[in-house]
Amino acid sequence: MAVRKAAWSGLNGLFTVYKPSGVASLRVRDSVETLLLKELNSLKQPDMPQQVRFLPTTVEGNAGKELTLTVTQLPVLAAHPLVRGPNFTHLKIGVGHRLDTKSSGVLVLGVGHGNKLLTDLYDAHLTRTYTVRGLFGKATDDFSDTGKLIEKTTFDHVTRDKLERILAVIQGTNHKALLMYSKIDLKTQEAYELAVEGLIRPMEKTPPLITAIRCLQFAPPEFQLEIQCLHETQKYLRKVVHEIGLELKSTAVCTQVRRIRDGFFTLDSALLRTHWNLRNIRKSIQDSRIKVQVELQRNLGHQAKSGERHTNMDQVTESELHRTEGISASNISPYAD
Amino acid sequence: MFLAPRGGLGGPYLREAEDSAPVFQYVGKQAKRKERVFVWGFCHAGALGIPSFVKPDAGWKKSRRIQPTPYRLDTVEKISSAACGYGFTLISSKTTDITKLWGMGLNKDSQLGFQRSRKDQTKSYEYVLEPSPIPLPLDTPQQTRILQVSCGRAHSLILTDIEGVFSMGNNSYGQCGRKVIKGEIYSESHVINRLQEFEGRVVQVVCGQDHSLFRTEKGEVYSCGWGADGQTGLGHYDITSVPTKLGGDVAGVNIVQVASYGDSCLALSDEGDLFGWGNSEYMQLASITETTQVNVPRHLPFKIGRIKDVACGGTGNAIVNEEGNVFVWGYGILGKGPNLMETATPEMIPPTLFGLSDFSPDTRVSRIRCGLSQFAALNNRGELFVWGKNIRGCLGIGRMEDQYFPWRVTIPGEVVDVAF
Repeated sequence: MAVRKAAWSGLNGLFTVYKPSGVASLRVRDSVETLLLKELNSLKQPDMPQQVRFLPTTVEGNAGKELTLTVTQLPVLAAHPLVRGPNFTHLKIGVGHRLDTKSSGVLVLGVGHGNKLLTDLYDAHLTRTYTVRGLFGKATDDFSDTGKLIEKTTFDHVTRDKLERILAVIQGTNHKALLMYSKIDLKTQEAYELAVEGLIRPMEKTPPLITAIRCLQFAPPEFQLEIQCLHETQKYLRKVVHEIGLELKSTAVCTQVRRIRDGFFTLDSALLRTHWNLRNIRKSIQDSRIKVQVELQRNLGHQAKSGERHTNMDQVTESELHRTEGISASNISPYAD
Repeated sequence: MFLAPRGGLGGPYLREAEDSAPVFQYVGKQAKRKERVFVWGFCHAGALGIPSFVKPDAGWKKSRRIQPTPYRLDTVEKISSAACGYGFTLISSKTTDITKLWGMGLNKDSQLGFQRSRKDQTKSYEYVLEPSPIPLPLDTPQQTRILQVSCGRAHSLILTDIEGVFSMGNNSYGQCGRKVIKGEIYSESHVINRLQEFEGRVVQVVCGQDHSLFRTEKGEVYSCGWGADGQTGLGHYDITSVPTKLGGDVAGVNIVQVASYGDSCLALSDEGDLFGWGNSEYMQLASITETTQVNVPRHLPFKIGRIKDVACGGTGNAIVNEEGNVFVWGYGILGKGPNLMETATPEMIPPTLFGLSDFSPDTRVSRIRCGLSQFAALNNRGELFVWGKNIRGCLGIGRMEDQYFPWRVTIPGEVVDVAF
């Protein structure tokens, strides 16, 4: 009983899962739920309640067979699992930012009371990082390599230098859009200070915005980009790859989209398919509980207090991810990691 | 949980169809990039060079007063140098063809030379609406190349490689380098003066508002024109009509760049030292002197690293040092928010505003230019950042409000040079 209660109470919070490609994220959610339920139901059941019954039996008496009552202890069948059904039939598991079927990567799931935190996570408007692999030479209708072929082009004129130039242009235009959608009055001193630290970010629904983009690998026809974005969909990222191909006077399709960071959840904490069991999930919830609380409080509390767009969120994750990189937008981090 | 089959059905079928599809080639391996000119700002004087802005081609269309974002200007040749004056523009090409200089905009003082009118052969156009060739009296028109052009308030200077400097336009203060003729009428004038009084070859020409500066190969600076603010740097406040060598702290120093736009001037030596003279009403030289007019070049002892590029505006100055950091001082919107409106000592603008970030840590500012109360900076990725007073949309950011910190201008392509 104590084990079950502990197990049940530990299942309230947020945890991350590594979603493989080729599977819809809702199916992932369903299978996690099924696995958890199976484990919860297989936990040691308490002893079944017994009842004392006086059953009529025949006893050899003086004048032949006589009817007497004998005391027997029988289990209460009403409490039997085969009668009542399994104890746990439903778990409230919600999905954070969705990933479409072809992409893979970090997927945030909330269980129990954690579902309320999912809404808060959405309102915090944190950025997400993806690694995107592309292939030059083809253009398809859905911008990925499995779509219907539209056109093939040459790509031997494409160099890393040209690609980086295009990426710089994309980053510049998106940075400008970021400032414009933030709806902050640009004539004030605080707008200047926020722009210096790179902390201006829109805090409401906007079209997809790319906050940073860079090339990790370039080996024509293949290339790999790292994209940090806001309010995006995976189809938009594939479209970005397609447009990069067009800008380079060639064509490109996207072969892989992989989310490596969602807000402050990174790949290290994501659970693989083989680790989807009760113990690991509870541990993951426990580990991330404090961090989630602190970060959400900082993001939303600040927002509610002054109605300003100000957060140190990206600063923390960026300084954690790119610790070896030279200059950071702001070197002050409250977590002296 | 099982994996759904990827993509469509008919694997090998599809692959065969893909392999046999034709391959398009849009651009070859040796493709070169095209150079273009973009214009923006106030249109009514015709300085943008697009006639439909001033005289629309259809009756129902309205003329455009301001072009708020960069608009492409089609040019015949590849343009190597451009300069903006007050209501007029000069663009030049390094070609050896006979036509190498074009001008558009205001021509009331013949700052664009004599533009023969088609209606009356003896008269010249007062406003030139599209880039029109300016004929120069060259000795060898098919060998001389124009290296640089510069425009002031109502005069222009053209620097050639083998034939020296040509000047045209208003000469009421001797800024064209020739004797002031009392009562001379400058409109519809054919006069283009050739300046020969230099020791050595001139390598840079700069126009202030009503004065001219010339820098020679040897590192000497000459000036002529109006001097009431001391901008000629010759030790007096009168006008000079003959280019005269400057003394003061720049005597004997190898100057590698001069800059001016309004009534104050800056010069940079090969060792990275800065010299200033001229107007100091806006605290441009307040760090070394209390007087508001300095008529002798003085050394400015700023400790801001080795300076690579200088720009002198109407009320504010800016420099870029070796590390790519921008320093500003003077008066007006300096680029550090609305709180910093004047300073006598240079203040650095944080490099994150020019595109420096964790993802691109080697972004540096490479060039700086100044307008009357505007600044423009180019970084090594070819991005243009502007800030300052947005008079009649001159910043090109699409909005009409003043910009208090550097803002990226959206231009399709990599920017190589900008002129204010």
